[in-house]
Amino acid sequence: MKKGDNFINKVKEKITVHDIERQTEDQVTITVDRNDLPEAVRMLYYDMGGWLSNMIPNDERQLNGNFALYYVISMEGGKMTPEDELPQEQKCWITVKTYIPANDPTFPSVTCKVPAAVWYEREAFDMFGLKAVGLPDPRRLVLSDDWPEGLHPLRKDAMDYRHRPDAVDHQDEPDYKFLEPSGSGVVDVPLGPLHITSDEPGHFRLYCDGDTIIDADFRLFYQHRGMEKLAENRMNYDQMGYLAERVCGICGYAHAIACIEAAERAVGIEVPLRAQAMRVICLEIERLHSHLLNIGLACEVTGNINAFMHIFRIREFTMELAQLVTGGRKTYGNVVMGGLRRDMSSAEIKKSLDLLVTIEQQLIEVWDAVMDDKAQVGRWKGVGILDRQVARDFSPVGPNVRGSGFARDSRHDHPYDFIDQLEFNVAVENGCDVYSRENVRYKELLESISIIRQCFEMMPGGQTIIKPQTMIKPGAFAIGNDEAPRGENVHWIMHGNAQKVYRWRCRAATYNNWSSLRYQFRGNTIADAALIVCSLDPCYSCTERVTVVDINSQKSKVLTHKDLKRYSQTLKNHPLKNM
Amino acid sequence: MKLLDMTRKYGNATYNYPFEPYKVPEGFRGKPAYDYEKCIGCTACAVACPSNAINVKLNEDKSKLVWEFNCARCIFCGRCDEVCPTNAVLLSDEFEMAVRFDKDNLKERGELDVECCQKCKNPFTTSKLISYDIERLKKAGWDEATLAEKTKYIRTCPECKKNIAVENSTQYFVRKRK
Repeated sequence: MKKGDNFINKVKEKITVHDIERQTEDQVTITVDRNDLPEAVRMLYYDMGGWLSNMIPNDERQLNGNFALYYVISMEGGKMTPEDELPQEQKCWITVKTYIPANDPTFPSVTCKVPAAVWYEREAFDMFGLKAVGLPDPRRLVLSDDWPEGLHPLRKDAMDYRHRPDAVDHQDEPDYKFLEPSGSGVVDVPLGPLHITSDEPGHFRLYCDGDTIIDADFRLFYQHRGMEKLAENRMNYDQMGYLAERVCGICGYAHAIACIEAAERAVGIEVPLRAQAMRVICLEIERLHSHLLNIGLACEVTGNINAFMHIFRIREFTMELAQLVTGGRKTYGNVVMGGLRRDMSSAEIKKSLDLLVTIEQQLIEVWDAVMDDKAQVGRWKGVGILDRQVARDFSPVGPNVRGSGFARDSRHDHPYDFIDQLEFNVAVENGCDVYSRENVRYKELLESISIIRQCFEMMPGGQTIIKPQTMIKPGAFAIGNDEAPRGENVHWIMHGNAQKVYRWRCRAATYNNWSSLRYQFRGNTIADAALIVCSLDPCYSCTERVTVVDINSQKSKVLTHKDLKRYSQTLKNHPLKNM
Repeated sequence: MKLLDMTRKYGNATYNYPFEPYKVPEGFRGKPAYDYEKCIGCTACAVACPSNAINVKLNEDKSKLVWEFNCARCIFCGRCDEVCPTNAVLLSDEFEMAVRFDKDNLKERGELDVECCQKCKNPFTTSKLISYDIERLKKAGWDEATLAEKTKYIRTCPECKKNIAVENSTQYFVRKRK
């Protein structure tokens, strides 16, 4: 009995499974009829303890005349109670695949049964024109509002990747329909197009009653770069890793690893142990600087500039550490298929160990001081509650879900590389609020330091790279996963001809966190809105203004980045006073 | 208050950059430095470059082979450094690359002499690459005759070499038929 067979047998009892394909030891794909799709996903998700990790629409008309959908479910147990977790040897990935005929591109929506699929299915329509019938929220997600109707860019025959549709004049641009609560006394607060903490584009609309947010809606993807299309058309495997590394400005390395490992797993390439250990070290260094950035920003957005500066002082050490072992502060650029390009010398390891001592010591010192600050902790506690049932429904990842008491950690559930030989604890907090999430990050910082130390101590010898055999199999596909600072990154690659990918699906950690954000906003004040978004550690490529709409008077006001930031820091001069 | 004490304890955390130089650690991957003297124009770097920052092309009148590096496209991965057979491209410690007004200042060029084919007189490679090849072959320890045999077609372009090979083999077939 191989991994995942027990779940598949249970699915078979109710649903006809046409085909079972095994990609790796812990990755299985089952093919079902499109009408059975929602039920199959629901059974795996709710009945057997799965979480939706990714959904890949794919244009396979060249291969078999159909479109295909792949729902990637991570089988790890519901985790609502501590006992409700699968034993380690049963954890696996099950992909539910279904074909959609090219002449009838519709499928029954899974969202009605598993809410986590909502963003994926909206994106499937934007990019491929695959219509989810019964989808509760069929608005546009990825494409901009002035993008022509009926042009679905990721279809193989839709367009050349260099093609740009004609721009629409600013005044003719269609308006995005935000969800609007009805009732008197609701104020609409648009927050965007640049976010307060991370200066990236996203448009938030907060609906307020007085000072309390009663609902929220948001529009993102202002910086969609079409990387997936670019990779399919132009990039070979030598270039893919570098492209994936540029998905994110903070956790890029995690993307590079996930992408390359997906490609490696699809054809069964085993990476040398030394390279595996070094990949883990670089990922953990990235977690160090990313978490320090986020804790720093969570202090800054509540006005504690002093703590922010101290945390950034420590962060500089982590950047130096990265510079030391990889040769670059941020983009490490050393991942290629088959291993790593740059080895670490023992002198570098020795210096790194010294740096780690400094980081650990000063981190504990600053964190204790921040925790002593009652005002600071007061701003964090009880804010931005992520309800446990909402979390279960929407499959959030990373510190966001771990702050709500779910021990979901890709390093623990689906160990990759060298991780299974290391000892570490999954940081979990039960408060569900911003305070818990920041606490999770702090605990993880200490865990990361310990992981890096263990890796350095156990560092296997030998080479760091093997020649990736020229055995790219067109049509072979697999999942690559790793725990980025913001949560699990899941990439999916299908190999194509001529050393190029047929389809690359890159799912960043934050993608899974956005859909539950709306529920986290509810019941909080406007001053905390920025903090809540910050606690997610969002990774969107953020927002200058916030529109506030008053439900009572139906008036709206656009707040600038500075207004809102000043108000969240000082809590003085309410921005809506003069409405 | 604790935080303020800490500030006093650690003192200045910033460097006085740009008024004092910022030292990078050994093995830092900075801007690729190009050594024109060493470059043989083999185009290995241009093939390896994942972001197309390095291009090697013939100029318009086909009199020179132009090695061009556009720093604005460079991602500092160091592939060029890795593949260069003569260490003409090496990553340096330099990281200050801002230019004012003209982005063309980010480009670096090197023009190499081209070698024309003995037969068709079209340029096909650089003179430096050929002398480099001969140099390397000499080091293999062959006698003059073998060397001459080995380098017989070295100044012929691949296209002409192909034609010669085809001609030679057809002669062989014709003779065989007789």
